[in-house]
Amino acid sequence: MKAPFWREVLPDLSWRHRADTRREVIAGLVGAVLVIPQAITFAYLVGVPPEYGLYCAVFVAFIASLFGGSALVGGPNTALSILLSLAIMPYAGRGSPLYIEYVLLISLIVGVMQLVLWIMRAATLFRYISPAAIAGIKMGVGVLLITSALEGVFGVSDLNTQFFYERLYVLLSAGNEIINPYSTSISLITLVSALMLKRRYPRAYILIALALGTLLSMLIDLTVGPLRSEVELLGRIHMELLPLHWPNMTREVLLVMQDMLPNAFAIAVLGLAQSLVIARDLKTHVSPHIDMHKEVFAQGISNVAGAFTSGFAGAGSFNRTSVAVEMGARTALSGLVAAVAVMAIAWGLAPLFTHLPMPAVAAVMALVGIGMLQVKEMRFYTSNRMDAVIFAATWFTVAFIGLSAGILVASLGSLLVFVFRVSKLTFDASMHGDQEIIHVQGSLSYASMDELAAYLSLHPRRHTTVDLSSVSYRDATASALLEQLRAQREAQGGGLLIKT
Amino acid sequence: MGRMGRVAVTLGALAVCSIAGARPTIEELKARGFLDDYESNIVHGYHIVMDTPRHAARYAGNKLSCTNCHLQGGTVAGGLPLNVAGLYPRWRSKNGVRNGIGLRIRECFLYSHNAVMPPADAPEVMAVAAYINYLSEGEVIGKPPQGWGVPTLPETGQDANPATGEVVYKRACASCHGAEGGGIGKTPPLWGPESYNAGAGMNNVQKAAGFIWANMPLGQGRTLSHQEALDVAAFLNLQWRPFDPREGRLKKLVERIVHWVSRLGGAKAP
Repeated sequence: MKAPFWREVLPDLSWRHRADTRREVIAGLVGAVLVIPQAITFAYLVGVPPEYGLYCAVFVAFIASLFGGSALVGGPNTALSILLSLAIMPYAGRGSPLYIEYVLLISLIVGVMQLVLWIMRAATLFRYISPAAIAGIKMGVGVLLITSALEGVFGVSDLNTQFFYERLYVLLSAGNEIINPYSTSISLITLVSALMLKRRYPRAYILIALALGTLLSMLIDLTVGPLRSEVELLGRIHMELLPLHWPNMTREVLLVMQDMLPNAFAIAVLGLAQSLVIARDLKTHVSPHIDMHKEVFAQGISNVAGAFTSGFAGAGSFNRTSVAVEMGARTALSGLVAAVAVMAIAWGLAPLFTHLPMPAVAAVMALVGIGMLQVKEMRFYTSNRMDAVIFAATWFTVAFIGLSAGILVASLGSLLVFVFRVSKLTFDASMHGDQEIIHVQGSLSYASMDELAAYLSLHPRRHTTVDLSSVSYRDATASALLEQLRAQREAQGGGLLIKT
Repeated sequence: MGRMGRVAVTLGALAVCSIAGARPTIEELKARGFLDDYESNIVHGYHIVMDTPRHAARYAGNKLSCTNCHLQGGTVAGGLPLNVAGLYPRWRSKNGVRNGIGLRIRECFLYSHNAVMPPADAPEVMAVAAYINYLSEGEVIGKPPQGWGVPTLPETGQDANPATGEVVYKRACASCHGAEGGGIGKTPPLWGPESYNAGAGMNNVQKAAGFIWANMPLGQGRTLSHQEALDVAAFLNLQWRPFDPREGRLKKLVERIVHWVSRLGGAKAP
């Protein structure tokens, strides 16, 4: 038996014995086909060339699976991609060499922060993040995703707006001048065909839709020509087998990075929160072997390694993990196969992607966004009043103010739930002769004492027994206050018996 | 010229010198620990110009780099120098619209690099534009710089003759560019699937002849006669090269797939 430290730090290969190789490999291959359009889309969202997204889907995902040892699928992540672009946008022009440098450097810092959080045993803390808050973030990101797809869908090169309602306003007010009809029709055919085919071909519908979009784009090229249609095409994908990158850490760069630290922290926390929610789900439904601390370490080390292999920061993916599990993935093998397959496909079939129209890619982005807005989940979380409040607050903050603010609301909301639950006491009063026995449940602390005092003042019997046998916790303030209450009653000629 | 005029010219020359002197070389820029967004774009643009397939792989459809025509990174007079930022926006007969420097660069990718057309805000386009700006420092805005484009050859009195051109090609060009025009090592391919397409400026006989006369064979520019340069240009113009993308992409895609499949099979490209 290895020491816990080594068990968390070293890749866990014990799944070898329980892996159903055939199913895992098939799940991995489906995952690879699924992640390629997403990787290209999310790279576009981050503002870096598509190769970087693919490198993230290869190296970051591979290392996360290798060290995590579970069926959790890592790699490019929507919310993180949005946050990365927001963090770097003020400091460099989208896609410029400096921008890419900053993206990789902030990914490194995110990885290091996650490792620090691992040392601080943050997985325990993340247990307290309310699932309703995470669902709210997911929904908010869905809205953000759909609205950031609008630029690509309408072929407007840069809307340069911060909030989605601004974006909608610009599109509505100046639409007839800036909307590119060719791009829009390519997007629409991709989007509509995908939505129609989703039921019928749940694995391949995105590919079929992309193929239809590409076909239309070729027809447009054939009839109108690239100069007039101005439809943006993906261009050649040039993959290196080992794209090593050494982050530039000169003094000036590090000075700029200082300003990005709060954003890096938000990215690190959001990445872990999402990964751990998925891991928790897997642990309860699929494989009980998952070690949360080990997953935190895997996320951290994968982002650190990503920065050295030209991949931006990633995290666990809800949609890819659920497809993998549906396909029968139970261990890390499927994730490893997917990562290697992405490299093989992107490297070998790159010429096929050259003429992929970007409006179709934007449509895929909108599809991912639509997939995140699930009515079923909304119903589930709105059934409890507290959950509904957190869910709605997080969702609206993410959609209307921003992701970082949303994370803050999510954490504060989760905290508030606990505070409310901790300060909540339940009373059960019964009469025994002229004595009233008050049975108290909950935890007695400075936060809940007011409630007890208020309840007692509503029951001004001469003889009262307070039964604290079901109280889970009692702090010094509570004991002192109880003493004080008893002294008060006795001074009034009554009696207060405290039973523990 | 009066005394004042001479003083003014000297002052002007000094001013030009001091502006030119203030401009750091690319090597100096690269040696710095930190480059701001504009400077890093200049260096990136320089890298793209010098080795397009590596640094702008997304929009490199063939083996050519910008520097193959814009000689020595666009710094040679008469060799399509790139210090032209002050001339744009400019109306061009080629597409019949006013072209900003961005559109001009994008068309280079479309025709000479035989790639998909980059969008207006592609980082590669921005980087090359920054590099062109950098090279144009000290030039007069609105005036063509010295050695702009390629020299226009005078009328030779004879038509261009591709048959003679082939003879000249075999004698003077084939040792570097290859008998099949596919290029050898770092020398660029002149025709075939890895060369510029039929929409490129180099596919214009007059322009190509001026370029060849002034710069070719490399290092021995102006050794061919005007007629020889014209003949070689006519010979090159007759060779097979990718379609003009204005003619339609579907054809082009089929061509790409055929080329790709033939390369996979190890067969020689058509």
